[in-house]
Amino acid sequence: MIINARNLVKRYGDLVALDHLSFSVKEGEIFGLLGPNGSGKTTAINCILSLLKYDNGEVEIFGETMTPDAYHIKRNIGIVMQNVAVYNELTVYENIDYFCGLYVRDKNLKKRLVDEAVEFVGLNEFTRFYPKKLSGGLLRRLNIACGFAHRPKLIIMDEPTVAIDPQSRNRILEGILELNREGATIIYTSHYMEEVEKICSRIMILDKGKAIATGTKDELKAMITLGEKITVESYGVTEEQLKRMRSLPNIVSVDYRDQVLEVKSGKGKNNLETVLDFIKKEGIQFGKIYCELPTLNDVFLELTGKELRD
Amino acid sequence: MQVFKLYMKIIRRNIPIMLVYVITFLVVALIMSSSMVKEQKKVASFERTKSKVAFIAEENSPLIDGFREELGKIANFIELPDETEALQDALYFRKVSYILRIPKGFTEGFMKGENVQMEKTVVPDSFSNAYIDLCIDKYFNTARLYINQMKGITQESLVQSLRLDLSESASVEVKTYGDEPADYRYGNYFFNYLSYSLFAVIIQGMGVLMLVFNNQDLKRRNTCSPVSINSINLQFLLANLVFTISSWLIMVIFTICCSSVSFLIGNLVRGYEAISAISNVVTIGPCFISGAFVPQELLGESVLRIASFTPTYWYVKANNQIAQLTRFGLLAFFAVSLVVVKKRRFE
Ligand SMILES: Nc1ncnc2c1ncn2[C@@H]1O[C@H](COP(=O)(O)OP(=O)(O)OP(=O)(O)O)[C@@H](O)[C@H]1O
Ligand SMILES: [Mg+2]
Repeated sequence: MIINARNLVKRYGDLVALDHLSFSVKEGEIFGLLGPNGSGKTTAINCILSLLKYDNGEVEIFGETMTPDAYHIKRNIGIVMQNVAVYNELTVYENIDYFCGLYVRDKNLKKRLVDEAVEFVGLNEFTRFYPKKLSGGLLRRLNIACGFAHRPKLIIMDEPTVAIDPQSRNRILEGILELNREGATIIYTSHYMEEVEKICSRIMILDKGKAIATGTKDELKAMITLGEKITVESYGVTEEQLKRMRSLPNIVSVDYRDQVLEVKSGKGKNNLETVLDFIKKEGIQFGKIYCELPTLNDVFLELTGKELRD
Repeated sequence: MQVFKLYMKIIRRNIPIMLVYVITFLVVALIMSSSMVKEQKKVASFERTKSKVAFIAEENSPLIDGFREELGKIANFIELPDETEALQDALYFRKVSYILRIPKGFTEGFMKGENVQMEKTVVPDSFSNAYIDLCIDKYFNTARLYINQMKGITQESLVQSLRLDLSESASVEVKTYGDEPADYRYGNYFFNYLSYSLFAVIIQGMGVLMLVFNNQDLKRRNTCSPVSINSINLQFLLANLVFTISSWLIMVIFTICCSSVSFLIGNLVRGYEAISAISNVVTIGPCFISGAFVPQELLGESVLRIASFTPTYWYVKANNQIAQLTRFGLLAFFAVSLVVVKKRRFE
């Protein structure tokens, strides 16, 4: 077990930012912390790292209790903060070199690692730039490079892709998968469910400081009743027809709005067939038909009653 | 020493801004120093001032020649044409501060013991004019004494006697207050003045360091590293100390050099105008060739060789060296004694 957190409670005055949060991270996983803004992701990470005093609970990292002066534990952790933390007075290269140097003494090794990190995030052309001269995406990449340059066993990333363009984002996600393939265990927080779904092997969904569900994405999707979401462009559907449709086997809900028919079905096979048969039999005119499997957003929606996206 | 090096780098990046203060200091210091030398000369030595006098005699006689000679000791004679307008202009533009006119028949009347008068036109409220009045009174009062006592004395022997009498002069000794030698006050002034620019430079440097050090995000990020908080704080303090002490050292060494140069100028040159002219040449010249305005790297080798004879060269060089300072040695000793570490986790 890489991380074992039990019963973490963190209060800011009256606000309970972490409410008896427990979770564990296994070696080699990409562990996703998914939650909307203000759900306590950053707080959870700061508590794990002993950057914050928490009111209750305990944290073990690499099997040892984490404390503010557990420097041998910190040596093996890489951190990418949500807020970009780099020195504006240092160039890109100097920044990576500085942060790497906090962990690595050996000069030659350090140089190699820094060069690798620069290569890894694709900042080769910008090594002599000052952070102020970098675009948002490049700055994020620098922030990431500063976090993992020393090649730690555990890398914690707090929304590393917030506010960057899709290309940079994909590149970063690829990078994270690559780091993971090279053996790093990764904790990844985000409020973008697509990202989390794409790269994380296990996901914990957070809401108001509570873990509402944990598991692989398939496990999470299995937790909810929704099996498929079938969307049909159709014309002139009557109330009567909608009513009869709702009584079909394994159909959970049917909505008709702006000539779009949205049918949600429970788990099981042949749901699409059932719907199509019905439409043909009723003689409803239809255009495009989509069939979607549930997303993490649907999971979140069903578990909390609200959308993940704000 | 990762953190220490970091702060040294940050200081280095801020040197251009600090140099502005230093250059201001440099310029003002030299201007100040030359005026201090002037001041000092006034206090430490006595010299008779000579006022400018237009001497217009409408007649010639041995008595008047003798008087003119005597007056010449305390006045510079300015030749002016004997026209009312020219004389008034000369007074107005302070070409002269005293116009003395000796009317026709003055000598004859004076020798006979009659009450004769000279005409004077002066710039009002000038203390040196009083000095001239004094000199005139002294001369003619003494002369009248001779004429009254020695009936029938010739003009020639009268002038001869007067010359002997009036050649006596008092020696003047100047005392400054207290026991302090003038040199000491002069140096003292410098170190006082130094505080201004030292203050500015240190506020600039430390301000930047503090700002970076207190940045919450960076603080957190550093706290995640295996370098202990104590060590981070210590290295930060050390960097501050090294910066402060070296700024002070540079400034002091530079000040000493620059005051000694000024002192030299002050000693070699006589006359106020010459001093400021020379101080300009001496300040701006070396500043230019030694890279205070243009980086030393951009200057030719021969220029730098010449520049190495000036204090500014070494000053700028030392500055660059400090900037590259990564080793520190002895200074660490000072830092350690001052360290107070706050161990605090972030709330
Ligand atoms: N220093 C603080 N003082 C008071 N309340 C705080 C403080 N920091 C965070 N909070 C509150 O704690 C809750 C959790 O904040 P946190 O930053 O952990 O959320 P998050 O999931 O990281 O959100 P985001 O996606 O916006 O980063 C929020 O309601 C926030 O307002
Ligand atoms: Mg956050």
